[in-house]
Amino acid sequence: MCNCTPRQKLIRLYWLGTFALFAVAIARLVMFTPNESTMGAIQKIFYLHLPIAIATFLACLVTFVGGIGYLVKRELWWDDLASASGRVAVQLCSVVLLTGMIWGKSAWGQWWTWSPRLTFSLVLWLLYIVYLTIRTSIESRQRRAVISAVYAIIAFLDVPLVWLSTRLMTDIHPTSIQLAGSMKITLLSWFVPVFMMVAGLIIAKWKLNERNRVAEQEQTAPFQPVISARFQYQGGAA
Amino acid sequence: MTRALDQFVLLVGKDLKIEARTRQTLSLVVVLGILIIVVLGLGLGTQNNVAGFNATAVLWVAYLFSGVLCFEKTMAVERNDGVLAGLMLAPLDRGLIYLAKLASNLVLMLAVALVVTPAGILFFGFDLSKSPGSFVAIMLLSILGFAAVGTLFAAVVSSTRLQGGLLAMMVFPIALPLVVTSTQLMVRAFRDGVNPGAGGVGILVAFDAIFLVVSWLVFEFVLEP
Repeated sequence: MCNCTPRQKLIRLYWLGTFALFAVAIARLVMFTPNESTMGAIQKIFYLHLPIAIATFLACLVTFVGGIGYLVKRELWWDDLASASGRVAVQLCSVVLLTGMIWGKSAWGQWWTWSPRLTFSLVLWLLYIVYLTIRTSIESRQRRAVISAVYAIIAFLDVPLVWLSTRLMTDIHPTSIQLAGSMKITLLSWFVPVFMMVAGLIIAKWKLNERNRVAEQEQTAPFQPVISARFQYQGGAA
Repeated sequence: MTRALDQFVLLVGKDLKIEARTRQTLSLVVVLGILIIVVLGLGLGTQNNVAGFNATAVLWVAYLFSGVLCFEKTMAVERNDGVLAGLMLAPLDRGLIYLAKLASNLVLMLAVALVVTPAGILFFGFDLSKSPGSFVAIMLLSILGFAAVGTLFAAVVSSTRLQGGLLAMMVFPIALPLVVTSTQLMVRAFRDGVNPGAGGVGILVAFDAIFLVVSWLVFEFVLEP
């Protein structure tokens, strides 16, 4: 289909597959799910909302793992991974908040209420927005990696605490839902492309970060032989 | 063990001695806290509609901002004359450096709270007579947790150029569970008349324990002279 390497072909195939599965999911959503009695078609936003909410946690988990990996191994590709998934986590969390607000307007008549899950998502979004902001405000590459790794670890451990603390508030969010068989399959058909998309986005951004970093290193590379020569001279018998 | 204790006392004593002689942190932080209370008082309090359980909201704003300034200042002391490099070279457990710094920050934060809280009660007329014990317990435990993360991130940020704004931005969202919990417990204690009891205080204690242990473990990764 194109004049490119097998790897590029694989990537294209992956994204084509993801989009095709999204098309299937949308088709199932239109044809096989009933309209909710009071909310009508708006209720269908739930099929996007739930998988993305769960994918958000996974992206946060990857950021956490990347942070630990960097602190233990001190290799910058861990940091590239953490920053990539941190960014994806913010994007996903924004979608969760927006779809949740649309749902809330239709189901409860308000765009925003201070209910536990809404507060929780908002704090999660803030935590990871700050993660991205910290990254852009520290110039030294190593220092940025250390600081954002420490922040990513503490932020991820903060997530269950936020959850516990918001449980003290009064709740109107649905906690369990009854789904008919065909609705379950539709939900599953949304989970698959959403997770494929998230994994694809994280890996793509990760590799892009790695390339940018290597390119930056190459720009400063001409100075390296000079430095190493000086070190050898200082250490040698001369 | 006694050796570690001696070192701890020595480190805290050093910080407090410097503070007692210069008063460079406390004077700033207390004034900032009072200023915040006054600004909030002018904004909200003149209507006389601020109920007792809203005390946490007002006090938290004062504690958060003066806390960030306090942590930053006490860490900046270590930057002078290469103190931090000396501490890192000394045969000390680095976790101990964290605990000592936390202890001196706590002393300063308590001093701030001792001034700011009465100021808040004076200007807003908070009625704490329903359960003063739970108010003190909730605020003390929250300040402990806040100081635990604040001390860690002050050390993290002290090696970068953008200190103030960055520290506030890192610590505020992390401290939000403490704000939410203490606010909710205060609402229960003062509006609904339910004492927080062991369960409510237990959550705060658990938060403190988690923040303390994690910060203590991570601290040695972030130290850089």
